[in-house]
Amino acid sequence: MTRRTAELAGAGLALLLAWLVLFPILVVARDAADGTAVRAFFGRPGEWAALWASVWISLASVALAAAIGVPLAFLFEWFDFPGRKTLGSLVALPVVLPPLVGVIAFLFLYGESGFIARAVQRLFGMSEAPWRLQGPAAILLVHAYSMYVYFYLFTRAGLAKLDVSMLEAAQALGADRWTTLRRVVLPLVRPSLVGAAILTFMTSLGSFSAPYIFGGGFRVMTTQIVATKLNGDLPLAMVETLALAVVAVAGLLLLRRTEGDDILVALGKGIAPRPRPIRRPAIRALATAAGWGFAVLLLLPHLTLALVSLVPYGAWTTEILPPVLSFANYARLFSEAERLRPLLNSLWMSAVSTAIAVVLALVAGWLVVRRRVALRRAIEGLLSLPWALPGTVFAIALAMTFSVHAPPLRWVLVGTVAILPLAYLVRALPLTGRALLAGYRQLDPALEEAAASLGAGQWRTLARVTLPQLRPGLAAGASLAFVAALGDIVASIVLYTYETRPISIEILSSLRLSETGVAAAFGVVLMVVSALVLGIGARR
Amino acid sequence: MSAFLEVQAIKKQWAHTVTVGPITLDIARGEIVALLGPSGSGKTTMLRLLAGFETPDGGRIVVEGEDVTSMPPARRRFGMVFQHYALFPHLDVGENVAFGLRGHADAARKTSEALRLVDLAGFERRKVQELSGGQQQRVALARALAPEPRVLLLDEPLSNLDPALRERTRRELRQLIKRVAITTVFVTHEQEEAFELGDRVAVLNAGRLEQAGAPDELYERPASLFVATFVGRANVFRGAAAHALAGDADLVVVRPERLRFAPAGLPGVVRERRYTGAAAFFLVETDGGERCEVLAEPDAARVGDRVFVEAERVIRLAENGR
Repeated sequence: MTRRTAELAGAGLALLLAWLVLFPILVVARDAADGTAVRAFFGRPGEWAALWASVWISLASVALAAAIGVPLAFLFEWFDFPGRKTLGSLVALPVVLPPLVGVIAFLFLYGESGFIARAVQRLFGMSEAPWRLQGPAAILLVHAYSMYVYFYLFTRAGLAKLDVSMLEAAQALGADRWTTLRRVVLPLVRPSLVGAAILTFMTSLGSFSAPYIFGGGFRVMTTQIVATKLNGDLPLAMVETLALAVVAVAGLLLLRRTEGDDILVALGKGIAPRPRPIRRPAIRALATAAGWGFAVLLLLPHLTLALVSLVPYGAWTTEILPPVLSFANYARLFSEAERLRPLLNSLWMSAVSTAIAVVLALVAGWLVVRRRVALRRAIEGLLSLPWALPGTVFAIALAMTFSVHAPPLRWVLVGTVAILPLAYLVRALPLTGRALLAGYRQLDPALEEAAASLGAGQWRTLARVTLPQLRPGLAAGASLAFVAALGDIVASIVLYTYETRPISIEILSSLRLSETGVAAAFGVVLMVVSALVLGIGARR
Repeated sequence: MSAFLEVQAIKKQWAHTVTVGPITLDIARGEIVALLGPSGSGKTTMLRLLAGFETPDGGRIVVEGEDVTSMPPARRRFGMVFQHYALFPHLDVGENVAFGLRGHADAARKTSEALRLVDLAGFERRKVQELSGGQQQRVALARALAPEPRVLLLDEPLSNLDPALRERTRRELRQLIKRVAITTVFVTHEQEEAFELGDRVAVLNAGRLEQAGAPDELYERPASLFVATFVGRANVFRGAAAHALAGDADLVVVRPERLRFAPAGLPGVVRERRYTGAAAFFLVETDGGERCEVLAEPDAARVGDRVFVEAERVIRLAENGR
């Protein structure tokens, strides 16, 4: 392929991506410039309260997640105790679960009619549930539970990269353990901590299912936007969307600044510190107990979910433990066509969006890394843009953009089968894009040249050399994208139609009809499929 | 005899200031040519232009009378061994070697033949990561040779081997190439490697071809000051010292083994003695303040001795170094 063709392809890809991820945002920005709506937004205290709630909930989530995740990372990376390896990977489990599954599992365990509330109620002979899991505290609990994983994984990765000789140097210079931690270890793992903080903040700001289910009267911006949209006040929804987008970008920029200069973590070939066996029996027992305690605490919601999924409709009323267990819910799920459909819908829509996202990322990786086209920075920026904005922003933007017929840029896609895969695709682009760009950058160009010098044409080189080499990154990016689409609720709730309703919507409507067993069964299926897909994706 | 591989005024412009070429070089069938030069001299660019990974901004490359200048690498039938070998890590040894043999009816036979050629018979099902550096290098060579290319290109073929292995591999590599009788161009920055492996050496400097010739021609009759000093040890004398050693010349180059201590000549003092076993290098500071190296018998002089130096054979160069 000549330079000229590559540049043309680069320009074409940049235009396509701009249409997918930038144009809808611009449509929102234009529609938000509506005098009445802007005045309404600035005039109503509820709007400001929701915006402020989004910000403080996100900041508090970062603090809570760090408070759990960072000590846990040190515990598992630096100390050795019975069961360290098994527990170490169990503790990372929430990262593979769709947020909605975690939320309903929490509901079944800690909710007012959940497992624990029931037990307490029975135990003390109370006439009402002892508590209601609602409001900001409930949201923060769920966030802390599902987001400490970012801090845990990032900190462990940062600690694993430390060079043990640096710690020894600090000790040889007379620093005690606390000084070493404060002056050497924490500055060196700071990039990891900032990375985790950014991820937690962005995830929390875009979080929808926790505030939607546990919020009660307490609104954050994501739930506020969807409520306004459902009320039909579109101009106001646009203003709210734009406000959330602005907060997200501002937050991202501010957090990025704290990252500081890139510190060279290891100058030489570093050897990571080996986990120290804990010698003092009391502390050893304590660490072991803490490790196991955390693991049980973290797994409990999912075990509850599995248990609830086995309870037939109406069989569990006031008992602490369900009296009857059966696979009736699963049987209904797979035998009734109308119940099976959401599962099939989710599977095919996720598969299609993932496939397209992978192909676009492959083309982008090749144009950006190999051909270094003039628009490479634009392509990379567009690919990662959907990551920087909450999912609600894109859901609303796509809903607005594609409900108008104005070719060639705008088509009526809302209400058709195309809109949800399109929305999933937008969310998948940063995941596959990042994975494949990184894969391409690690790929030795000499391998492709070697194939060419051995007479292999472009396609054969791609199939026999490039793709097999990119496989790990491709599998990782594709599985993340697929699982994200499978568990999506943010875009789905705004854009679904009855025909294309995905699992998440079906879970919500089952809950509304008090069919908890069916909702739980869907949750378990979602959990199992996600874990399987991610497991396959992580295989080398 | 007409050339088998002709490089005609080939040129590649990198930035506005960095240019490689124009370089013209004719290579005979079966000849081994070394591209020798310091880093940044353009030798790797030359090799990549030959392979087709870079497109030249001027000039032509002709093989057996066929112009291949704009032919993509895949159709050139040039075999290449990469510096880090570029073996496909997801394929085993046999699959690597057979990669260029697609469509051959007897690919399996050709693969095992190529592996036998490099002394790795029976290694087909081994993983490339399990091989030693030397074995990987031989697999890369077998892979390049298996499709029977017209020209073999080698990019720093021995730089990834440890020094002890390098010397032995160098001899084996030359024997193998001569046995296959393939026209070969290789890149190196080591003079010893270029001399031992190459029939002819092309010295490149700052993107220009300084001189191409047999090793002894480069050593005894360098065409420029750069070649004289880059190829082998050299003492450079200018002005009065040059007059003292060679009479009429203003710039002369003398190899250390062509200098000797004598009853009369260029006067100086021995400052250092480096003993190498069979002989010793004496660093002499002349009265004019110039330093030169004399290779002589180990007991020819002692540090601090006043000596006179005379030249047995000098290389005369024009004042501008050419």
